[in-house]
Amino acid sequence: MQRAEAAEYALECQGVTVSFGAVMALREVSVGFPPGRIHAVVGQNGAGKTTFARVAAGLVRPAAGTLRIAGREVTTGAVNAARGAGVELVHQSFALPPSFTVAEAMEFGSTRHGRAPFTRAGLEARWRGHLDSLGVTARLRERVRDLPVESQQAVEIARALVTDARVLILDEPTAVLAPAGIATLFRRLAGLRASGVTVILILHKIREVLEIADTVTVLRGGRLIEGTVAARDIDAQHLAAAIIGSAPPEAATLSEDDRAALVGAGAGHAAGATIAAPAVLALADVSTRPDPEGPALDNVSLAVRAGEIVGVAGVEGNGQRTLVRACAGLADVQQGTITLAGRAATQAAPLARRAAGLRIIPFERNSEGLSLSSTLWENWAVRPLLLAGRLLALIDPARLRAQCDASLRHWDVRFTTTEQTAGSLSGGNAQKVILAREIDASAKVVIAAQPTRGLDVGATAFVWRALREARGRGCGVLLISSDLDELFDISDRIVVMLSGRIAGEFAPPYSLDAIGRAMTGVAR
Amino acid sequence: MSGSLFAVARALAFVLLALVLCGAIFELAGYSSLSMFQNIAEGAFASPEALLNSLGWALPLFVIAAGVVVSFRCGYFNVGAQGQFYIGAIGSAFAVEWLNGAPAFIVIPAAILAGMAAGLLWAAWPGLLRIRSGTDEVITTLMANFIAGLVLIYVTSGPLKDPSGTGQVTASRPIAALYRISDSGGVSPAIIGLVVVSGVLIWVLVNRTAFGVLSSLAGRNPVMVGWQGGRLARLGLAGFLVSGAFAGLAGAIELLGPQGRLVSGFLPAEGFTAILIALVAGLSVTGVAVVSLFFGGLAAASLYLPVIAGLPAAAIDIINAAIALFITARAWPRGLGLRRVRRAP
Repeated sequence: MQRAEAAEYALECQGVTVSFGAVMALREVSVGFPPGRIHAVVGQNGAGKTTFARVAAGLVRPAAGTLRIAGREVTTGAVNAARGAGVELVHQSFALPPSFTVAEAMEFGSTRHGRAPFTRAGLEARWRGHLDSLGVTARLRERVRDLPVESQQAVEIARALVTDARVLILDEPTAVLAPAGIATLFRRLAGLRASGVTVILILHKIREVLEIADTVTVLRGGRLIEGTVAARDIDAQHLAAAIIGSAPPEAATLSEDDRAALVGAGAGHAAGATIAAPAVLALADVSTRPDPEGPALDNVSLAVRAGEIVGVAGVEGNGQRTLVRACAGLADVQQGTITLAGRAATQAAPLARRAAGLRIIPFERNSEGLSLSSTLWENWAVRPLLLAGRLLALIDPARLRAQCDASLRHWDVRFTTTEQTAGSLSGGNAQKVILAREIDASAKVVIAAQPTRGLDVGATAFVWRALREARGRGCGVLLISSDLDELFDISDRIVVMLSGRIAGEFAPPYSLDAIGRAMTGVAR
Repeated sequence: MSGSLFAVARALAFVLLALVLCGAIFELAGYSSLSMFQNIAEGAFASPEALLNSLGWALPLFVIAAGVVVSFRCGYFNVGAQGQFYIGAIGSAFAVEWLNGAPAFIVIPAAILAGMAAGLLWAAWPGLLRIRSGTDEVITTLMANFIAGLVLIYVTSGPLKDPSGTGQVTASRPIAALYRISDSGGVSPAIIGLVVVSGVLIWVLVNRTAFGVLSSLAGRNPVMVGWQGGRLARLGLAGFLVSGAFAGLAGAIELLGPQGRLVSGFLPAEGFTAILIALVAGLSVTGVAVVSLFFGGLAAASLYLPVIAGLPAAAIDIINAAIALFITARAWPRGLGLRRVRRAP
């Protein structure tokens, strides 16, 4: 009896809280995974899934909370403790040394090394049986970097199992696989389940969850929304709602006035009035070469007309980043055309696009948007200086500082001097510096990628007002956001991206249900 | 401005720490550290001659270090100043050789320009390799230093060999007195003029041009400049070329000034000391001017120590090394806001 109780959960955590600086990645997550089944952990990017996996594998030490493996409490944040207790993690980006052969990779993962000196033949003899038993067909002397991605993943899984793992965690294993590869992976995982291994899958595609998982756990904004619900008791729509959430938790606590400010009291949608306006940004059948930064665009057609805000909805990681990079001239467009302000820009250099009026509020405020260790005025002056084109042109820093000062004051940035570094500003103020730079008089297209992420209510309202004002001045605005309320409130149209494609286009009044289904790829 | 002054002050504090460490080492080695430092200070700054001597050492160091500042601000760790300095001197020597007999007002400017061009070219190939194929510039520029040292040996024992030379080092034929711009002290109006003009040019480039602002942004955050449409490769290569040209200029100054001829293996640490100066000065051009004088003083003292005080000149190497250790150890590379450029956008 005692034994049975001890083994109630293969892996269990209680009150796990992880914060990275000011960001709470996980908040008091308590969940237990029964042994011998396949569990899915789902959520949007940033929901805390990967952090959860890393806590379970001992790679991240939570600020609070306990971790029990097979009923025994283990030290948190200790890889060896977790591995010793039989937990192995297969990373999203593979972690095997690319120059190793398959046999060497197995040995690398093993903790029981032989005494004899390593020989190639010895290693291969040692690991052949292991790979065969798992049905991995990769040749033992092939180098990891030369393997196709499916085989690399299979080798990763085999590596994770060399230590007799009882709990195998896979972080987004399907992200890198083609449909056929996914089928093979699922067969392999089902086989592991049959042999008693507990599998925890981090996923974000609902279809896959329902196909393979015995239970589903949903994380949103670092909180546990659903814990190990039996998959057969849950339907796709319910799951989609749990993943996306109909309203961000902060909005629920807003006062009536704040809410009105956030919605922009009567600003309404510009729909109808601008239908005839010319497109300032148009993508026609654009496909990009796959690169490591995210899914490639696959025949994306999209037009943003002057004076409208087009929202791009979608679960994060479905090509939104590539969309922005393609518009900026930073992705390799293989097919299709991009038109900016009426002129062909498919092959235009990034700077030429800026000159044509393209402005971007990029996803990563602190790396793509600002140079944190540089001064405010340098950050502010970068585009004017680049557009002037002459590197050896003499500049008057005092004048640039004065212009920057005026502009930042106009945008209500709280700062003391333009000589302070951008890194000394709060997130909201830093975002305002970017707004001040990007939404200038010659802006024609403003691409705003997650412009309100991490901002408080006041700063969020400020950003929305700025985007509306840009629209009012005749700019076309492309707003990429994972916050559906934000999109619903200020977009004149919404397109949904899924796996690098446009999965649907919606006009107001928006249906959360329909957009949610398009976002998660659930048919009907 | 106050920010860069603070950076220099902080760096000088680290220099002080390094000196304390050296003091401890000297004591352990059985020397009185107090008298050691006293001797160094005397050798560097105590008399007008010592000061002049220190200045003579500081001038070329300043020129190289100011150029290094430009490259480092772009985010490229061009550590090839030593080789660019050698190749500059060699280019200059060839110009003098070929134009021998022409009036000085032609030969001297031609030799200076040849030195700059040669240094620039010697920086260009690692720069192009970095930008075209991502070859780590630290490796290539470091290797280029060795190659330059070997080229110097070849030139002094082959094409420009002084037939009367004897002894362990090879040397080129001495330059006619007509074409010299200073005596062996290395301080003359011509050299001071050249150095001041170089300093002003680089100061303006760094502080008063679009290039200065953009290269500093690109050095600190290339990703952001790439998103804004900046051409990182062009900025980076420009940084390489400028630093190479000024290291080459320093080579020409040494050749036409204090050295008067090429000697294999001359001033083997000049470029590295200059890099150290640039780092201690927090990549500020005005800071480099001050710090150069300090290191010039150390270099002057290293000659004075064995002669006057009977102390080993290696003491100065220990001090230099200790300073390098402290400066690079403090939160490198983030302390200077530098970041290795790892990928093009």
